[in-house]
Amino acid sequence: MNMGKRTGFDSREEVREGLKKVGYIAADRIANTVYLASHLAKPILVEGPAGVGKTELAKATASFMGVPLIRLQCYEGLDESKALYEWKYGKQLLYTQLLKDKIDRIVQGETDLSESIEKLHQYDDIFFSRRFLEPRPLLKALQQKEGAVLLVDEVDKSDDEFEAFLLEILSDFQVSIPEIGTIEATSVPFVFLTSNSTRELSEALQRRCLHLYIHFPDEKLEREIVRTRVPDIAEKLNRELVTFINRVRQLDIKKLPSVSETIDWARTLVLLHAENLDRQMVRETLNTFLKRQEDMQVAESRLDELIKDAVREAR
Amino acid sequence: MDRTLENFISVLRRSGVRVSVSETMDAVRAVVLSGYEDRQLMKDFLAVTLAKSNPEKRIFESCFDNFFNVEGLESRDALSEERIAQPAASVTAPLTQMLLSGSGGELPLAFREAALGAGIKDIQYPHQRGMYMQKLLQIMGLNGLNEDIQKQAVQGSPESTALAKSLESMRDSLMRLARDLIDRQLDLYASRRYEEMLERQLQYTNLSTLEERDLILMQGIVQRMVKRLKDRYSRRPKEARRGQLDLKKTMRRNIAYGGVPFDPKWKSRKMDRPEVIVLCDVSRSVSNVVRFLLLILYSLNEAVSKIRSFAFCTNLVEVSSYFEKYAVHEAISKILSGEGLPIVLRKTDYGRSFRDFKEQYSECLSKRTTVIILGDARSNFGEPQTETLRFISERCKRLIWLNPEAPIRWGTGDSEMKKYLPYCLLARECNALQHLELAVGSLLRRRC
Repeated sequence: MNMGKRTGFDSREEVREGLKKVGYIAADRIANTVYLASHLAKPILVEGPAGVGKTELAKATASFMGVPLIRLQCYEGLDESKALYEWKYGKQLLYTQLLKDKIDRIVQGETDLSESIEKLHQYDDIFFSRRFLEPRPLLKALQQKEGAVLLVDEVDKSDDEFEAFLLEILSDFQVSIPEIGTIEATSVPFVFLTSNSTRELSEALQRRCLHLYIHFPDEKLEREIVRTRVPDIAEKLNRELVTFINRVRQLDIKKLPSVSETIDWARTLVLLHAENLDRQMVRETLNTFLKRQEDMQVAESRLDELIKDAVREAR
Repeated sequence: MDRTLENFISVLRRSGVRVSVSETMDAVRAVVLSGYEDRQLMKDFLAVTLAKSNPEKRIFESCFDNFFNVEGLESRDALSEERIAQPAASVTAPLTQMLLSGSGGELPLAFREAALGAGIKDIQYPHQRGMYMQKLLQIMGLNGLNEDIQKQAVQGSPESTALAKSLESMRDSLMRLARDLIDRQLDLYASRRYEEMLERQLQYTNLSTLEERDLILMQGIVQRMVKRLKDRYSRRPKEARRGQLDLKKTMRRNIAYGGVPFDPKWKSRKMDRPEVIVLCDVSRSVSNVVRFLLLILYSLNEAVSKIRSFAFCTNLVEVSSYFEKYAVHEAISKILSGEGLPIVLRKTDYGRSFRDFKEQYSECLSKRTTVIILGDARSNFGEPQTETLRFISERCKRLIWLNPEAPIRWGTGDSEMKKYLPYCLLARECNALQHLELAVGSLLRRRC
């Protein structure tokens, strides 16, 4: 194991401030988890409703640590050759063609078949060396000299088999390639896995990770997030808007508006030079954070009440 | 590894959070990093290292709060306001002296020792609380205290009466403390075991006699059962019967090699993803069984490819759309109450319901469908329409009848079960979760 090649952050404040600097306002629990993960050299499995900033957390961590973010998007049918490595088959073929003369010359002296093959055997390592290896995200992450943040996105969408395959990388930070041997990480990457809980992940995987569940942020935190992301927004509008969104989340709707959608809405309203929530404008921009027809109907039917509530509470 | 953390982890395990050795090691390293002083930080750290799913997080929360409150007994000083400055010479029992002398540290310590002596960690069921409380107070020396109170009360002087009064109120708060302690211990150590016992019992309980309060617990059991069924049937499309040679297949396969068994074939069992049609009798007598059957079938979504459900009583209506619109629980209770459905909830009429099905929905029967009928076949002496059932039976792959009554009662009174029986591939008694699990299992497994 390559334990300890990556040094942990000095303090929790460092993490929180660092994340804040790159525009990610982290709740205490999130910052604490990142801090702990850096010390234990463990992957973080992030779960939570869609759009609370699971992927964003990985991106922010990468940019504040100043290392590249390597992202592996999971989907059904994802396999080793897409995730880990692939032989550059075309290149291998091309080289053998180009080097035909050379190969001819090598086997020239030999008289029978077995001797020529014996001779060729001395060279076959050349064609299965790192030169012909196409690294895919996982291998790439292990090879980064300065460390990296590896984001395995929506791991619940991949098959069980792939999940099992991830285990070796997550616990030992190494992969085995039959032709070459085991490749160890040059420096341990910081790993995030995200999941939308469409299916339960295997216990083996859960055991190897720290499990972080991100809820929707509370209103105060969400206001801070909006303020950071949309600096032009007036404080009054910010208050009203965040309260409104939180009210909408309590309605009986299918898809709850996410934090990123709150930000989108805030941007939209700022572009429209809104100073406070007014009915007409809200109705026209409802589709920035509600994406289903039924949900919009539910919200629209109670629009007056919601706006009144939001304006009153934000005062 | 330090004891407190070790104890806490064993409490977690007993409450149903699975904690592995490697996770324990992570927790130790995390606590080294956080220290015990900052409770919130330690809680955050332990939550991410020990609890790995949302339900586990909830268990963790309550365990953590409970556990570290018991640990923090020292800081509680519930008796302080009743302390008396002048210790009377006439009291003799050590407990009385301890109470009166009022040194804050002694009492919790005595409590803890008494708790150890009473073996409180072995508490298993809520009804044992009384017994453990007795034991605990006995060890604390309650008898001595009682005698002292008696003595003071008998003396009759104003001071001694006052002393007796205050000693009595101290005794009450002492008992309160003891009860709190035992309740917390019960929460920590026993609730899981008690639930397990209840669950074992519920597996065999007749569903129609279930009480409202058991329903919630039942749903937990059903969830676990569904998970088990899913694990068993959804992953592998083929389950090999290891070591059994399939002679016919092997011979057929190896004709090409001149009959030499070059490529042996083994017997295997295919797992089915059946298309299911459920007809449910929603009259009172069957409603609880219907609830659980539907709950199981609709939770199995990966293992079952398509499912259409119908409810009948006097007539028959399709209710599949309810399951698309509402969450499973909601849909089921809506169906059972007949809310917004064109269903007539008077005398159950099997004949008419089968006819309704044949006339309106017979196009959904195919070679791949399995029809499950859930009902007691008590048709109130109406025309049984066995021909219609035969029609249905011939057009589907299998017809399974689940009857909440025991076979011995089939065919008695207005039960038409005997007449329907010849058209069912499988007819089973079904009135406990056990039965349901078996029935759903046989639905998913195809015999070959």
